[in-house]
Amino acid sequence: MMNRGRLNLIFAMAVLITALLPVSCAWNSESPDREFSNTPKGNFMALWTIMDEHYCFFDLKQEKLGVDWNEVKTRYAKSISDEMTDKALFEVLCNMIGELRDGHVNLTSSYDYGRNWSWKTDYPANFSKDLQKKYLGIDYKIIGSGYYYRILDDNIGYLVVESFESATTSGRLNSMFGSMVLCNGLIIDIRDNGGGNLTAAEFLASHFTEETVTVGYSCYKTGPGHNDFSELYKNELSPAKNDIRWIKPVVVLVNRGCFSSANDFAFTMKALENVTLLGDTTGGGGGLPMSSEIPNGWVVRFSSAPTFDADKNHVEFGIAPDIRLDMKDEDLLSEKDTYIEAARRFINDKLVNP
Amino acid sequence: MTIITKRLMTVSSRCSDLFAWVLLAVLMTVLPLRVSAQRNVWNMPQYMETVRASSFAIGTVHARDTYLSESTYDGASLGFEIDGWTGYEPYRLFSQGRTHSDIYFGLMDNPNGGGSTMEFSSRNYAGFMWHALKYSKYDFLVGPAVMCELGLLYNQQNSNNPVNVEGYVGGGVCVDNTLRFREFGYDMGFQATLYVPLAGMGFAPDYDQPYYYMYKYGEYGKALHFISPFNNIAFTQQIALVLPIRDKRLRVGFTVDGIKNYLGGHSRFMANSMFTIGFGMRYQTKSWE
Repeated sequence: MMNRGRLNLIFAMAVLITALLPVSCAWNSESPDREFSNTPKGNFMALWTIMDEHYCFFDLKQEKLGVDWNEVKTRYAKSISDEMTDKALFEVLCNMIGELRDGHVNLTSSYDYGRNWSWKTDYPANFSKDLQKKYLGIDYKIIGSGYYYRILDDNIGYLVVESFESATTSGRLNSMFGSMVLCNGLIIDIRDNGGGNLTAAEFLASHFTEETVTVGYSCYKTGPGHNDFSELYKNELSPAKNDIRWIKPVVVLVNRGCFSSANDFAFTMKALENVTLLGDTTGGGGGLPMSSEIPNGWVVRFSSAPTFDADKNHVEFGIAPDIRLDMKDEDLLSEKDTYIEAARRFINDKLVNP
Repeated sequence: MTIITKRLMTVSSRCSDLFAWVLLAVLMTVLPLRVSAQRNVWNMPQYMETVRASSFAIGTVHARDTYLSESTYDGASLGFEIDGWTGYEPYRLFSQGRTHSDIYFGLMDNPNGGGSTMEFSSRNYAGFMWHALKYSKYDFLVGPAVMCELGLLYNQQNSNNPVNVEGYVGGGVCVDNTLRFREFGYDMGFQATLYVPLAGMGFAPDYDQPYYYMYKYGEYGKALHFISPFNNIAFTQQIALVLPIRDKRLRVGFTVDGIKNYLGGHSRFMANSMFTIGFGMRYQTKSWE
């Protein structure tokens, strides 16, 4: 019979080996998931698959642009070979995702930022930075990064919001509204505002309503299928509590350069009573973007959570203005901004014919 | 920063590898030869007694989290661990308590020169142990444990959704072994502890659910998932050699924790392999109240 000490020793060793087993398993463990190789073909497949499983507008793009994502794969796969250079691969991959014509779809490498900005470049600019500067003058007030205002000669406030990358503050907005208390109306110029934070856009919009308004809907992807979406969540805009709220006429100037959260600001403001959108259709960008990486480290950004307006229409292709307008060449020559002048006339007309 | 990270990774990786093999070799050589009579280098605590060991940890980390990226990251990790053994009333079924808390911080790189990722993670376990085998040189304890783990990955290259937070609270099992032996004229101890969660609740975004929407719509419910070994395999494994230094006990060890899960449509894998060094102290608890 085995003595007790030896039995204990064997038992201890058995426990030790059992205990070490997970260690060695973890030590040598490979990820259980699919792994795409860091080759041109592997990176191509990784990018195509990430988009296939996470991009949220495939059905919309097929309907409006005729993009068939499987056909795109077949077509571009022919251009991929293991001998191609990194730069050639980057170009092919950018062209592939460029088929979606979505400003939120980008591929980032160390040497370039792949994009398709046809939502903006294929249309008239309807904006002159120099003219905007002329209207702002030199004594305009700055109430945040990218937020400038002044009161125009005909007693109309003019607020420029260059970007929603950062929000202004309640105190600064209160100060602006306080200085405009005798103004007849307000022009908010968001032309060429490429977006930023949704919260910054919502914060500004919340100063133009007296009651909670349903301004749109959102959902997100719940699975890899092209139609795997969550229920629609209602986006409500509540009035900014304890802040001055503007209830006089507001004209928001928009053009094709209004994208992403500026697009959100446009359809949010459009849902409000005293607000009129004037200009060109906005650039769109109605999907909340997410990012991922392909094996060689290039980062892909894509729209993953679609947004809808108050009537549950997609806003990916932009928001149509209430008053459609193009900049006139003769106005440009006489250093007049067609949009601003039209907005001034609109507000002054409202004063006469409320 | 990248150079420092890579150097840390290299050094810690070599240290961990080397240490694991040396420790294993020493144990395999020493144990069969000289298991001696009862020693008091690391006895189980008696009633109202607590043994607590605090250790610093350095090692490697390996992660892949498909919410943030389809890529795998490797790097170096630093951490701090506190382990505890407590003696309860001896007539109780669970006469010993075992606790473990750790916090790790890791820096990882994509091996293909892509982005980098940071890891913050913490594990807390409390086991209620049945003294299953009790010999002069060997104690074997097993019992149920409550566990919670929280992990945060911050992808430095990913500006839109840079952070993913996952975690679980659950129950599982804890196994604790202590072997005392004498070698080179010194009393020494060897310990091995394993924690495995079995069931509980896990937190992870519902596929592509943005954190902003969780906050905006209060939709946290869809981020909660029932966990079991079918969708969440995790463990924390410690081995340690205990050496007496005056009234303290030097504790040199190796901790591995790993988690592989599939929650909310995304898979996650993370493993830390940590070389640990610290001291153990014995305390008398004055009162439980």
